[in-house]
Amino acid sequence: MTESEEKLSLDKRLGTLSFNKDPEPFITVDTETCFKCEKKPCLYICPAQVYVWEEKLVYNTEGCMETGACLIVCHKLGAKAIHWKYPSGGHGVTFTQG
Amino acid sequence: MEGFEVAVVGAGPAGSAAALTLAKEGVQVLLLERGSFPGSKNVFGGRIYTYALKRLLGDRWKQAPIERFIRKEGITFMTNENSFTVEFESKETQTSFTAIRARFDKWLAEEAEKAGASLINDVRVDDLMMDNGQVKGIVAGQDKIPAEAVIACDGTTTNLARKAGLITMLNPEEISIGMKDVTELPAETIEERLGLESGEGMAHVYAGYPTKGLRGGGFLYTNKNSLALGLVVGGDDVSLKAIPSHTLMNTFREHARIKRLVRGGKTLEYDAHMIPEAGPGMINRPFTGGMLVAGDAAGHLLNNGYTFRGVDMAIMAGIAAAETIIEARKKKDYSANSLRSYAKRLKSEPSLKDMYTFSKVPNYLRNRRLYSVYPELVCSAAEAVYRVDSKGKRKIYKELRAQTKGRVSTLTLIRDLLRGARTF
Repeated sequence: MTESEEKLSLDKRLGTLSFNKDPEPFITVDTETCFKCEKKPCLYICPAQVYVWEEKLVYNTEGCMETGACLIVCHKLGAKAIHWKYPSGGHGVTFTQG
Repeated sequence: MEGFEVAVVGAGPAGSAAALTLAKEGVQVLLLERGSFPGSKNVFGGRIYTYALKRLLGDRWKQAPIERFIRKEGITFMTNENSFTVEFESKETQTSFTAIRARFDKWLAEEAEKAGASLINDVRVDDLMMDNGQVKGIVAGQDKIPAEAVIACDGTTTNLARKAGLITMLNPEEISIGMKDVTELPAETIEERLGLESGEGMAHVYAGYPTKGLRGGGFLYTNKNSLALGLVVGGDDVSLKAIPSHTLMNTFREHARIKRLVRGGKTLEYDAHMIPEAGPGMINRPFTGGMLVAGDAAGHLLNNGYTFRGVDMAIMAGIAAAETIIEARKKKDYSANSLRSYAKRLKSEPSLKDMYTFSKVPNYLRNRRLYSVYPELVCSAAEAVYRVDSKGKRKIYKELRAQTKGRVSTLTLIRDLLRGARTF
């Protein structure tokens, strides 16, 4: 086994999942509010790294595993910028090995 | 969509157990699932305790898609360099088993269908229909579905319990994030590496290093042809220490002790889920007029530090919810007062009582020393006990005393031990 196979990247991990993209956005963020956020907990809690900081908050819901934890930390530790609901029925991630 | 007496939201173990129990009594029950099939949104560490399935299904429980029965339990305290393991092998072979939720939850929902429940997938329930403070049905997109009663089994994030005002948003210290890699390996390789007989399974937990000292721990479960290797980490800790949760997966996986277990395997899937850690106290009460709440949504699960239970408790709570509805149906009274007996049922059911017996555990488990100082202490003590070199050895007691120095005061150690003895 090669070193790279042992060190699984997050991209490779997320590549094992299948997603059925919801045409409607199910997460929206008031990214202006994020400038006021000191702790930025969403960057750390999300196991799919939906949220990254590139001079401002950037989010990509395509790898979202729908844990819902970002909403909690954003509202309890952060700046209350995240609006979150599940993707509509039949959309989003499908786990086959959960 | 009319003509249903009861709408069950969420076809996980709680929802399917409730729907099955109701359908067997001839109740017209609708079972709704937001995923494209039951189990498609569900993730767990890896095991199910058998007793609950037996209670629900009698002998039919044996038809469940069981991966491996667990005969070997263990815990490892880990540091970067060392590990100290305690293992228990049981003669009892059918107490619990590993499973894959995409198969298990699907099978259980099919059992509910066979009993007469109507399962509909691909439906996200958005809201409750209310009349005079009483739940009268559900709203899914444009559809309004009236029902005499609703059972909310909609998981940790429980939209419906929140809409009914039974729960407010959980705090970061009341949740954990669970992640796992499922790695495919031949059955014989799994058995050889973990010292198992053919077909036997094991469950193992890891404390200390896997979470870099944050609240939580690692786990390993054996499926037939795969290993479920993952970890759980506290929502508050991971956010405030600014450690991206997914990076812990590689930290853990690359430990010498772990690396050799998954070597050469193919990663089938990476999964994650949020776990409520506050116990049944996370919800004000699990009932209101026209609605009951069961499973993760009501905190019906238990992590007491050494056993991790969810599916069995969800099934038992689903049965209790269904029995409450059956009783209310006879009286034709679904008011909060009539459904109050649900709370009593939960508390009197022996297997669910454990949730209340161990109600102080979540608080105890927030002590960070359990994840940093103590695992390190166990490993360094073991190192000292087993070390033979030219310097000579101290007696074990003296060695242990020396190891605690600078790490934790004797008073703190004794206090943690005493508190532990009262909590567990």
